[in-house]
Amino acid sequence: MIRIIYCFALCFISISAFSQTIVIKGGEIHTGLNEEPFVGDILIEGDTILEVSTKSLKGDVVVDASNKIITPGVIAPDTQIGILEIGAISETRDGDSDIYSMGFSVFDAINPNSTLIPWNRSNGVTSAITLPDFNWDPLSGMASYLLLDGSLRVNGMPDVALTGEIGAVSSGSRAESLILLRDLLEFASTLDEKDMSSSKKISEAIEDYEIAELMDLHPRDVIALYNLLNNNLPLIIKTNRASDILKLIDIKKLYGLNLILMSAQEADLVKNEIAENKIPVIINPFDNIPDSFDELASNIRISASLEEVGIKVMFSESRTHNYHLIRQGAGNAVANGMSYTGAIMALTSNVAKSFNITDRGILKKGMKADIVVWEDDPLEPSTFPMKVFIDGNDMDLTTRSSRLTERYVDKRDLPNTYK
Amino acid sequence: MKKLFFVLFSLTINVDTFAAFESTYEPLQSEKILFINGNILDGEGNELLDTDLFIADGKIIAIGKGISVDDKDIKIIDAKNKWITPGIIDIHSHMGVYPAPSVRTSSDGNEATSPVTAEVWAEHSMWVQDPQYALALKGGITTFHVLPGSANLIGGRGVTVKNLQRNTIQSMKYPNAKHSLKMACGENPKRVYGNRGQAPSTRMGNFAGYRKAWIEAENYLNKLEAYDLKSDEDKMVESPPKRDLRLDTLSDVLKDEILVHIHCYRAEEMALMIDVAKEFNYKITAFHHGVEAYKIADLLADNGICGALWADWWGFKHEAYDMVQANIAIVDQARGGKGCAIVHSDDERGIQRLNQEAAKARAAGNKAGYDISKARAMNWITSNPAKAAGIYDETGSLVAGKNADVVLWSGDPFSVYSLAEQVFIDGALAFDRNTGFGPVSDFDVGIVDPREDRVND
Repeated sequence: MIRIIYCFALCFISISAFSQTIVIKGGEIHTGLNEEPFVGDILIEGDTILEVSTKSLKGDVVVDASNKIITPGVIAPDTQIGILEIGAISETRDGDSDIYSMGFSVFDAINPNSTLIPWNRSNGVTSAITLPDFNWDPLSGMASYLLLDGSLRVNGMPDVALTGEIGAVSSGSRAESLILLRDLLEFASTLDEKDMSSSKKISEAIEDYEIAELMDLHPRDVIALYNLLNNNLPLIIKTNRASDILKLIDIKKLYGLNLILMSAQEADLVKNEIAENKIPVIINPFDNIPDSFDELASNIRISASLEEVGIKVMFSESRTHNYHLIRQGAGNAVANGMSYTGAIMALTSNVAKSFNITDRGILKKGMKADIVVWEDDPLEPSTFPMKVFIDGNDMDLTTRSSRLTERYVDKRDLPNTYK
Repeated sequence: MKKLFFVLFSLTINVDTFAAFESTYEPLQSEKILFINGNILDGEGNELLDTDLFIADGKIIAIGKGISVDDKDIKIIDAKNKWITPGIIDIHSHMGVYPAPSVRTSSDGNEATSPVTAEVWAEHSMWVQDPQYALALKGGITTFHVLPGSANLIGGRGVTVKNLQRNTIQSMKYPNAKHSLKMACGENPKRVYGNRGQAPSTRMGNFAGYRKAWIEAENYLNKLEAYDLKSDEDKMVESPPKRDLRLDTLSDVLKDEILVHIHCYRAEEMALMIDVAKEFNYKITAFHHGVEAYKIADLLADNGICGALWADWWGFKHEAYDMVQANIAIVDQARGGKGCAIVHSDDERGIQRLNQEAAKARAAGNKAGYDISKARAMNWITSNPAKAAGIYDETGSLVAGKNADVVLWSGDPFSVYSLAEQVFIDGALAFDRNTGFGPVSDFDVGIVDPREDRVND
């Protein structure tokens, strides 16, 4: 009997939760589109934004956001969230495969209970692209997309992009990497639907093509290659030197690739070519260090410079774990000439658009309700989120770090190792 | 004959008095400058709005409202709506010893060939053409301390440097600043040597290693002191104890002539290191990185040890897992504000914005319930690191008589949008954002385009 009542209560709560609407009232709304912010209300029902308006909206639950700033949830484009817990402990890392190359998917490895998820969420990141390790291969594994809602059944999209890297290597030559990239793409261009109809057919295609066999490709790898050329699968290439970027642009044009440049510290030198070919760029706005001979033209004004010619800019952060610091990076980009609206877009809609995420990254009617209400200017690193919504859910902002803080700030008589 | 005698004589004198690698630093030409109506965070915990600052002859002469100077040679800088702070000091840098580009042939920060290498000096590895110094200067860094890496239990001597790029390391060295001794706890030394099947391979092995080294140093010092006490006649027949570079450094620590800086993450290891210091009667100046410093903040305050910490780094190894953003604030506020907190970088990007790192640490502290002013948080990147480098009497705060190491900021230094507009070292302009005046390393010359310097930020 008790059990039945309990069930009734639960059912009632879940039904009422679904039908309840939330209105976020009176905040300064930055939609993530290229438009000026405005003061207004946002109405959420279930997981969706019903309306964004300068008019007063009504809802069952009211979140007072007056004098607060509202943005779409931050989407981090270059992370290892979910597949990395502690850098130096290899058994907590799942970013590498010994067997597969392009066909390697990290999605199944994602740990929804990773401490990185609540940590980055409490700092305003609502979803992220998580990438396999880069191993200096021109093409390696596939990146996945996940929501930072901590759901045990991971919400997101597997295999949203292929990754690769071109540049300085301590042995061999970058020319070899570029030739290998061309040869693999050339192989992919020989494949038609018939070749792809079964694993057996794919294996035959591999056997018939010298470089495919030499590289020990598996059918999975070939499917990923095929998707690059036939299904608009984004290809993230980590590279820095201006001349390498130009070579990649040639290859993109030849094979019609959906190319995204990452790191790209010398992008400034070839920004017009990048802009003409509509290639999005993921850059680290903090990084003006010539860390290698591929990055000599690295400079702090790169974000502004790329924005100026109309390149879709996204941000990365070189330290693992604190991927949310891309908003401090965005602040630095603004301090060095980027537009404020452009910096907000770089944190939100530019990522969604570049990775074919069509229902997030913008605050407008019909989009999923991934929303952050900030205490103050989100580009100031000393600002914290007041509310974070993912799929319309008001997320808990507790983290392991906030729990540890409480243990040591609240002084009691017991040692703080006791509960 | 007479001439030869003279030469020999002067040589003898030289041998007696020559201190190797002494600073030959000379400041740039300083100016007499009156900053008027600036907002000042003085590095002593004070916020002084609409206040004037007068510097001349490389020193701070006066700070206060309505200063008037009767001298037509002075330059007046209108600092209205701008902010003025002491020059920023980073107590943990590897610029020069791990320069950019990061290539194996210039990675000279870890003499990882033996767990105790007290004989090596970071200044002997420093590349003076590292392009990173100039970038740090644009972030307001006037002084920085370069440490050896953390591969070894005892990694060698660190050096304090003025951020004025010159062609010799001696000419960049901070005059008369004490050396540091870099020690390291935890994962790094035990990993480096354990992987080679040699000691230490465990944390207990680490501690045995420190104590063995200090026992040797004590014996060495005893011998030196015993020899000193001998009569002149005895000294004529008995030669002094054989000089040992490694033990020279360690015995200088025991004589309080070198400051001890320890890379240490875990709370219990820091507490044990304090006991080792007590066992051998030396003082620890600061623990660096100290991701768990907040767990023993009172202990650090009671022992007068600073925590040189990051605002938010974590997770790269197990000993850096228990990060709290309030770490710096908790260390600062220990025992009713008696703690010594420092924001350090250990990073060539972080050193360019220590002000932002301090802003984050302050915000996290206030979120955790403290009430920390900007003026207080400014101490974390100015006077506190100056104390930890042993140069507080000369710099680290805007007090009359101190060196005029000054940064003029375009706005509130705790805002991400504020940039260092002008940086002064010893009263001389070292960087000016508006005119582009500043150092360019030889590395930067003509390396991308032969007609230009590498970067014109």
